[in-house]
Amino acid sequence: MAAAPVNKRRFDVAAAAMLVVLLLASLHMISAAVQRSEELGQWFIPLLLFTLVGLVILFGLVGWNLWQLLRDYRLRVAGSRLSARLTVLFVVLALVPVSVVYFYSMRFLSSGIDSWFDLQVDSAMEDALTLSKLSLDLHKRERLKLSENLLSSIEDTSQTAMALSVNDMRASSGALEITLFSVQGKVLALSHANPDILLPTAPDSGMVQQVVAGDNYVGVASGPDGRLLVRCLVLDKARRGIVLQALYPVPEALSDISSSLQDAYEAYRTRAYMRSQIKFSFALSLSMVLLLGLFAAAWAAVFTARRLVQPISDIAEGTRAVAEGNYDKQLPLPKVEDELGFLVNSFNAMTRRIAHARNALEEGRHKLQAQHNYLETVLGGLSTGVMALDGDGRIQTANRAAEQILGVSVADLAGQGLQELGRHRESLQPFVDRVMESFEKGVHEGRAEITLYRGAGRQVLLCRHSPLETDPGTATGHVLVFDDVTELLKAQRDAAWGEVARRLAHEIKNPLTPIQLSAERLRRKYLGKLPPEDGVVLDRATHTIVQQVEAMKTMVNDFSDYAKPSKLQVKPLQVDEFLGEVVALYEGGTQHVVTDLNASGLTIEADPVRLRQVMHNLLKNAVEAGGERGHIVVSSRVGAEGGNDFVEIAVSDNGPGFDPDLIDQVFEPYVTSKTKGTGLGLAIVKRIVAEHGGWVHAENPHEGGGRVVLHLPGLALSTDQQLPLLAGIDGEGEDA
Amino acid sequence: MKTLAQTIVAILFLCAPVIGIAEGVEMRRVALTLSEDGRILLDADIKFNLNDTVSEALENGVPLTFETHVQLRRASAWVWESDVVEHRLRTVLRYRPLSGMYELRNLVGDERLSFATRDAALRTLGNIVAMPIIERKQLDLDEDYLVRIDVGLDIEALPLPMRPMAYIKRDWSITSEPWEWRLRP
Repeated sequence: MAAAPVNKRRFDVAAAAMLVVLLLASLHMISAAVQRSEELGQWFIPLLLFTLVGLVILFGLVGWNLWQLLRDYRLRVAGSRLSARLTVLFVVLALVPVSVVYFYSMRFLSSGIDSWFDLQVDSAMEDALTLSKLSLDLHKRERLKLSENLLSSIEDTSQTAMALSVNDMRASSGALEITLFSVQGKVLALSHANPDILLPTAPDSGMVQQVVAGDNYVGVASGPDGRLLVRCLVLDKARRGIVLQALYPVPEALSDISSSLQDAYEAYRTRAYMRSQIKFSFALSLSMVLLLGLFAAAWAAVFTARRLVQPISDIAEGTRAVAEGNYDKQLPLPKVEDELGFLVNSFNAMTRRIAHARNALEEGRHKLQAQHNYLETVLGGLSTGVMALDGDGRIQTANRAAEQILGVSVADLAGQGLQELGRHRESLQPFVDRVMESFEKGVHEGRAEITLYRGAGRQVLLCRHSPLETDPGTATGHVLVFDDVTELLKAQRDAAWGEVARRLAHEIKNPLTPIQLSAERLRRKYLGKLPPEDGVVLDRATHTIVQQVEAMKTMVNDFSDYAKPSKLQVKPLQVDEFLGEVVALYEGGTQHVVTDLNASGLTIEADPVRLRQVMHNLLKNAVEAGGERGHIVVSSRVGAEGGNDFVEIAVSDNGPGFDPDLIDQVFEPYVTSKTKGTGLGLAIVKRIVAEHGGWVHAENPHEGGGRVVLHLPGLALSTDQQLPLLAGIDGEGEDA
Repeated sequence: MKTLAQTIVAILFLCAPVIGIAEGVEMRRVALTLSEDGRILLDADIKFNLNDTVSEALENGVPLTFETHVQLRRASAWVWESDVVEHRLRTVLRYRPLSGMYELRNLVGDERLSFATRDAALRTLGNIVAMPIIERKQLDLDEDYLVRIDVGLDIEALPLPMRPMAYIKRDWSITSEPWEWRLRP
């Protein structure tokens, strides 16, 4: 792309230089034509025209360059001001001496030409001509006298006699030609030195008239060879009507001198006459030389200024580009290795280094961004809350788990002081206090278990902190890592309870059968032998023993059910059909059990025995809650979440509802508001539902009563897909 | 070439007046005759009127060259077609201060004629008698021909310093209107 302007510039320079050379040659030839006008005079006007046209073109070229310079100056193009200043300087430097030379040349020329023609020379030339005339006049008078005598000597005027005598006259007089005319102009006789010439040299009418009028004519004329001749026309005094014309050659010496003098005089007179034209011609030539010099100097000034300023313009342009952020800018190197070339080299090296540093910085930034993204992804994927604090305890970053655990958004956390967090979220104050206390004590690394009491219940956080060291040995803040271990603790507790129940059942169940058998044996053996009063006591006591042992067996079996690891035997199950079968068992009682089944056709994978136990537990609770006039609704519906179908089964009653203080813990073992029961019913429900990949929760609807809702995944899910969900729920339980 | 040069000079020197034509030269009579030996001859009577500027130059020794240009070409000739015949009769008129006479010099035959007066010299200059143009047999009898004659002062023959001003000044433009007619041999 840059080659085209360079080539064009070179072409312009070559064309302009060629034009200047041609003009110089033309001026030189004009000069030669002036000096040798005889040989080259015919080229004068064409050369003059060529030079004028060339000067006009050169003027146009200079004007165009100056106009471009002015335009750049107005547009504040880089380097234009320096170019303009240099151009003006160069032009002035050229103009002043050239103008001085021109002025004095014109003066010298004018005065020099004038000096050719002073009065003395004029006078001398006139005198010389007069002298020559006088000399010729003497010769003319002699020849006129001779001619008169020759005419007078003719006696016989017959044509034959005159033809004979005229030859003698010419030979004796030394004339070149003698002709006799009648006054009417008829040639009577002719004698010429050249016998081939048969016609006389005719006098003009003025001469003839003069002679006929009686005044003889004598004059000087140029012969064919340029030699001077004296022409005499004489009228016969005897009135015979004869006119004699004689042409005498002027003596050679006199002729040569006179001709030479005449030529010199003519040349002088001509030059004197052409004085103004000569001055004009010289002035024209000199002016053209001046204009050529000036235009060439102006063009050279513009060209040189641009050439000198070009590297500076490039540097200015490059600096501007660098200022605008273009660090890849490289400037063309000047051909001449001078200081400007060094400057351009340095500039190019500088931009290369800047570009290199920029690239390295950019690369580092990309790496940093990648690391940041990597770290953010890792932290985002952690279930552990991570928070970075600066030295003043302001939160710098926090991951998504921290947001979930603490219940505040990351955007709200960023930039906040930890104290601010405590002030805005009162429930988080114990967390803040413990952490800040640890910071204030200057504990380098700490670990604490912090219990928070929040709207969702009790939350236990296991919290660790360590110093944040950006440089080794220099702590600029703290890293806070915390886990919500509520569910984990709960799971541990559940596991402990399960173990207790299993052992208890094992330890208690073994002696119960002997006790029961012993009581029945006592009764059978001694009831009939004792008096009636004692028999009644024995009967009541043994009955009580057997009944309580049964009750204890039931309790121990519940413990056992809860504690023993289950093994599901799943098969496809029509939800609504299954629910109808279960509810049918409760029809006919005092309670009013109705169904609102809307999941017809949906099949789930479930163990019918375990699920039946779930429904019996829930219905039993509902029957007990509703009392004699209980109204129980069993409903089902299909839902979808995250692209997976599920069935929602709800059991509602019109009882007093769940104790609001216990509603979040009703699925915990041994949590019950009833006077009877083991408190394991709902715990078993939760466990079985969880084993089926579902979840359960209790709620008190606005219309009153209580409701237990359980979600179970639909059959569309494969076993493989259920496992993560199941594991997720279990895991969630562990995490929580 | 001369006309082109005149035009360009006139354009370049914008102050120059329009170059005049048909001033100073008047063709009174032009005739073509057929001689007995079959040659076409030209007779012309041309009157030259020299203005003061040109007369002054003549009196001061400046030689004046007059050219009579005779062209004969086919009437249907293309522009680039050369003339059938072309004659240039060049005659120099000058004043000889020593003899006080005017001299005519035919540049072709180097013939010199001297005249006591300028008018006599100009009359002789303008009197063309039986100038042979071409032999009739050289022409196509079925063809029409154009004969063109123009007469004028040759500025290029003036002394070199005078030429630029002569091109510019109207006084020096002494030329005739071209005289042209159709010829059927």
